Amino acid sequence: MSAEHKLPHEVAVHENLSNEQMRTNLTTAMHILQKNRLKVIDDRFEDWQGLRARARQAKNNALMSLDERLLEFEKNATKNGMHVHWASSDTDACEIIYQIMMEKKANKILKGKSMASEEIGLNHYLEKKGLKAVESDLGELVLQLDEDTPVHIVVPAIHRNRYQIGQTFKDKLGASLESEPEKLNAIAREHLRNQFEDLKIGLSGVNFAMSEQGAIWLIENEGNGRMCTTASDIHIALCGIEKVMQSFEDAATMVHLLTPSATGQFIPTYNNIITGPRKNGDLDGPREVHIVLFDHNRTRMLANKNYYEALRCIRCGACMNFCPVYDKIGGHTYQTTYPGPIGEVISPNLFGIDKTGDILSFCSLCGRCSEVCPVKIPLANLIRTLRSDKAGQGEQKLLGDENMHHNKAEAFAMRNFQMAATNGGLWRFSLGNAHYFNWAVQGLKSALPVIKKWSEFKDLPSIKVDLYKEVQKLEGVSYE
Amino acid sequence: MLNKVYFYATCLGTAAMQEMVLNAIKLLRKEGVEVIFKKNQTCCGQPSFNSGYFNESKEVALYNTRLFEKDYPIIVPSGSCAGMMSHDYIELFKEDKRLDEIKHFSSKVIELSQYLDQVLNVNYEDKGEPIKVTWHSNCHALRVQKSITSSKNLIKRLKNVELIELEYEQECCGFGGTFSVKEPEISNAMARAKVNDIQNTGAKYIISGDGGCLLNIKGTMSRMGLDIKGFHLYDFLLKRLEGAKL
Repeated sequence: MSAEHKLPHEVAVHENLSNEQMRTNLTTAMHILQKNRLKVIDDRFEDWQGLRARARQAKNNALMSLDERLLEFEKNATKNGMHVHWASSDTDACEIIYQIMMEKKANKILKGKSMASEEIGLNHYLEKKGLKAVESDLGELVLQLDEDTPVHIVVPAIHRNRYQIGQTFKDKLGASLESEPEKLNAIAREHLRNQFEDLKIGLSGVNFAMSEQGAIWLIENEGNGRMCTTASDIHIALCGIEKVMQSFEDAATMVHLLTPSATGQFIPTYNNIITGPRKNGDLDGPREVHIVLFDHNRTRMLANKNYYEALRCIRCGACMNFCPVYDKIGGHTYQTTYPGPIGEVISPNLFGIDKTGDILSFCSLCGRCSEVCPVKIPLANLIRTLRSDKAGQGEQKLLGDENMHHNKAEAFAMRNFQMAATNGGLWRFSLGNAHYFNWAVQGLKSALPVIKKWSEFKDLPSIKVDLYKEVQKLEGVSYE
Repeated sequence: MLNKVYFYATCLGTAAMQEMVLNAIKLLRKEGVEVIFKKNQTCCGQPSFNSGYFNESKEVALYNTRLFEKDYPIIVPSGSCAGMMSHDYIELFKEDKRLDEIKHFSSKVIELSQYLDQVLNVNYEDKGEPIKVTWHSNCHALRVQKSITSSKNLIKRLKNVELIELEYEQECCGFGGTFSVKEPEISNAMARAKVNDIQNTGAKYIISGDGGCLLNIKGTMSRMGLDIKGFHLYDFLLKRLEGAKL
């Protein structure tokens, strides 16, 4: 979502929370995804925790030697006949794709699902140049027809039910009004067949890139991704630099974690391992394969001792599937490409804490995201650390920090809290005639209208007892 | 041999749940445990820690390590505060030269239900009427302090109490300390979802081992005008042992 269209934080929260249909769709879907994940781990895995530990290590090894990995990937991919492009920013990456389209005289590309393309704003960039990017992933197609944005990184249109999708197909594709999944699929299939027919350039993301093999691994469930990467003359793969790993075995470990975490499937429906363009004698496959390796602040993130861990993310979405905040407000409320717990960590790092730091309050620190993350990113801890950066107490300055306005009232309140909490006499004095959240009222009143906000939705208890006096009356208790 | 322990009342216990603190101490006294109540105790520091004010939180943590200096177990009637002091302090000081001092303090902290269940292995005689209850797990107790099994074990020792497990038990109730006042509307949506699950069990009593969650859930149920009572675990246990009316 572009910055110029950003809604005020509270407005975004209120509007999305009030969308009953979206909340029902999301809650139902998230509970199904949660159950699927637990079931597949129980039924099919002997050592899930061991696999997580191994994946964490493999990804860390790749990150710790990323410069080496990237050069190795470039060397081997080039040897395999792929063209490797380097982009430092989001705009650079868009520009490279635009230039390839110009060179090939293509006014349209067909896209497989790629959150990276959302991150760099590719569709919007091409549109401004008068070019078209057409989505082929079913969820993305629904959203493109509806001029909506993804609500989730794995299941982008999960906030829409089949009746709403049927209506979209009727309104935008002129199809008959349907709601049965099979019939909806048939409508989409027929529409996409026409798109694939004159396909010149197909674009995909990359799940894992293997430096030793100079190859990329793409997983998907619909088969449209394979169409985009094989039916076209030219295939462009958009790849964040953190996706590069050392070996095929390392990538295989990741794939084993990814689909169970994302949807509860044991394996993905389609595994596409691409080692290069069509060779002599091959019956199909693109004649050219381009890989765009883009940074977009990942190097900066890698250099930060706290947040490099989030570069292990394999975009499975498990953290959002299990987040009790995400399923209430949905992905749009975050107003950034990546919602949910992982979004709270990477969005400020990729787009700037000044632009996306407000989403750090979308977390009760329940810790469920850290618990389910297949690559063991300590998401809740990192969200807390980002709050510290936002408060101006971080050691390494985050992107956009120079534009931050620190909350002086909150800082003042926290100093007051510290003062009271390190002074027993003062603490006892303020709580002796206790009233619920008394310290908070005393300490935080300048930062937060605590009581008002609490009592807007919830009743307050009434307090009658002087604890200090009563404790002293107990036999066998020394009050010292 | 008589056990001697420190009792950590927690800030919510001191400010809003004084009865619970007194009942928790009585549960320890019932087992013959000698209790030290430090009058200068304050708060574990979660409000500032979770808001990202690490400098202030460190000062509070150091204050606690020095106040509870002797090698007695520090008994905390809250998984949330116990988790903060036994695990999060170590995270907070992971790159600090005072880490060893903090680690020593953290190793002494234990949640009350863990102490009653695992250390004292209490034997409870339930004097109350047969009832059905459900249980809310506090997130920090569940994932950090890992005291939920012990808490439930204590309820299971009561012969007239049937424990009905809550659906989506591992989902947060929306308290989250300052979260509930920074994002009140989202917090309310989460609390309502939790209350809905509680209603679905058919139980008329919801028990929890955490004051914050309980205030959140009870406050929401009261606003909704429901006929379901919320009890802190330690209030509930003592009432059952004394045969008092719930």
